[in-house]
Amino acid sequence: MTTRLTVLGNPGHRRVTLFSAAARAAGLPEPTVLPWLDVLRGRYRLPEGGLLRIESPGEDPQVDELLRGPVLGASYAPTRVEGTAAWYAGVLTALRGLAEQPAVRRGEQPAVRPGVRLLGDPEEIAVMFDKRRAHALLAAAGVPVPPALGGEVSGWEQLRGRLAEAGLHRVFVKPAHGSSASGVMALQFGPRGQLLATTSVELADGELHNSLRVRRYRSEREIGAIVDRLAPDGLHVEQWIPKASQSGRAADLRVVVVAGRATHAVVRTSAQPMTNLHLGGARGSLDLAREAAGPAWPALLETAERAAACFPGSLMVGVDVLPTSGWRRALVGEVNAFGDLLPNLAGLPGGPAEGLDTYGAQLAALLHLAADNRPTNDLSTNDQITEPAR
Amino acid sequence: MTVNDHLGRFHGLPIHDFTPTGDPRRLPKPGDAAWRLSVEYDAEQGFPELWRSLLDTVDPAGIRAVVIGPWWSGDYSPVDTVIATITGDAERLPALEAVFLADVTYDECEISWLTLGDVTPLLTTFPGLTELAVRGGMDLVLKPVQHEKLTALRFESGGLPAEVVRAVGGSELPALERLTFWLGVGEYGGDATLDDLAPFLDGARFPALRHLGLANSELQDEIAAAVAHAPVVARLRTLDLSMGVLSDEGAAALLEGQPLTHLEILDLHHHYLSEEMQQRLTDALPDVVVDLGEPEEADEDDDRYVAVAE
Repeated sequence: MTTRLTVLGNPGHRRVTLFSAAARAAGLPEPTVLPWLDVLRGRYRLPEGGLLRIESPGEDPQVDELLRGPVLGASYAPTRVEGTAAWYAGVLTALRGLAEQPAVRRGEQPAVRPGVRLLGDPEEIAVMFDKRRAHALLAAAGVPVPPALGGEVSGWEQLRGRLAEAGLHRVFVKPAHGSSASGVMALQFGPRGQLLATTSVELADGELHNSLRVRRYRSEREIGAIVDRLAPDGLHVEQWIPKASQSGRAADLRVVVVAGRATHAVVRTSAQPMTNLHLGGARGSLDLAREAAGPAWPALLETAERAAACFPGSLMVGVDVLPTSGWRRALVGEVNAFGDLLPNLAGLPGGPAEGLDTYGAQLAALLHLAADNRPTNDLSTNDQITEPAR
Repeated sequence: MTVNDHLGRFHGLPIHDFTPTGDPRRLPKPGDAAWRLSVEYDAEQGFPELWRSLLDTVDPAGIRAVVIGPWWSGDYSPVDTVIATITGDAERLPALEAVFLADVTYDECEISWLTLGDVTPLLTTFPGLTELAVRGGMDLVLKPVQHEKLTALRFESGGLPAEVVRAVGGSELPALERLTFWLGVGEYGGDATLDDLAPFLDGARFPALRHLGLANSELQDEIAAAVAHAPVVARLRTLDLSMGVLSDEGAAALLEGQPLTHLEILDLHHHYLSEEMQQRLTDALPDVVVDLGEPEEADEDDDRYVAVAE
């Protein structure tokens, strides 16, 4: 099979080069890159056929400034936390515009019709990039998630009142459209009403900046100022549930689910409430996690698969699984549309992607699905992913 | 810094997390584990029910060690119910030797926000107790006691009330070999003074003492200076002055005081010592294990922090 592959991404970004490398390794032609910048500006032409993979628009200075610059004005800086609503609106408008072009073939339309087929569904990406909607979707499907506050958060005073009303005194406050822990605040009220906020947000001259250092704020004035600055972009608030630990650090799992099956998993550990690597998180040991979970391990992976099943149009999602209660149970934190940037991570032993990295696993699944002309997330558990033809 | 680790072992025993729904056939023998009880965030049953379940599942007469994790779900609740529940069953627990209250990390509750209470009944109700550890400081109360068996006593706190320190100083603990205080900071209620520590330094009150920890203090330099001339030191095998704001001033006082060469371990981890002073210490104490881990740096003198406060 000689499927033509195009990647909507940021040229030169690791996500794009790693996928290209995986395509070459699978014996496929070098993917063409469709730059996000062009798509966002509305100046692009779609390929006439083949598959179009949608990659993250993140981590590109020009893309970021194009999306958030207008709302932040002269005070724009790449480190700024605010402006995620504009970022979200810009990305979604562009994706929807792209999907509606006549050259795009819908997943369910027969292969004989010409056109490029989208890998991924803009509407599912829209949900995954809105933590409030994603949480609601998962909860409605019976996937275990931390209890959320729900509803709009307009500012600090209102949030404080609503938390008190709900009896919540340990929560994560997250920008609804944020990523990589940007703007995330672990907020706690003490037994005597004391406040403590742990966050990588740096408040400087009334502006919020991302920092590599996790700070602790105790004054209501500062915490309120941060929340008030974050609120206009939309906030998702959910209960902070203690995570299982590994070697004395809080741990969670990123599970990559490809075509419905959990293919890759990494343990992320941290001495902070946030486990992101750039904030001092570190990869933990999968063997130790497996051992700690014991008989509950398959259920942890299954939880990730159940979350992924809420996004049937997505070939791949990265699910943040929060083990609780000494690894015996798990909650789903987030589902990431672009949660596969885990270079050189080998597939789970005994799983469908053993020996493949996350990109290789997706290509293998694609080739397998293409052979059967099935939609992208329809791979029953009995299927074997076969080596692609070369 | 915060408390990040759950205990791996306690009282020389591996921890076993007890869950009411676990398979009873997979349980260790009652005396082969330290039984950890924690109320989960969404538990419908409280601590008393969990405790009842433990005693119904595991032969209480064989239980040697108990570790209490988070005892609340939802809102904060004082620890009094926990202590009353455990002490209420004292007659069924003839073998109980060790209690750890509370094995709670920052991910569950900040150490200074743990709402404690009067822990004296744990000692007065269990004359066979040999080891007691208490984490947290808020509302913590201890009254002077007489206890013949207690060999190890430990208070971990971001702010340990002076009343508690004084109560230990005023207690009759003839068997006490290991005593550790994380004194903490004034901001979180750690208001003990050097005078309050005097009973632990004069060497007269605790004849069996072999380990002394006066740690995690804002007064670490002053404590070091007092220890340098304290009679108790000659009897110690291990001395712990770690986790505080120890600077060259305190370390110099230690070096200028009585000999420390008889110690097996001098724990100074988390300190503000210059490299030169660290070298002086290791040169002067070649046969002592001197823990100089976690060196901290301060830009200015008031920029020094204890390891665990919040």
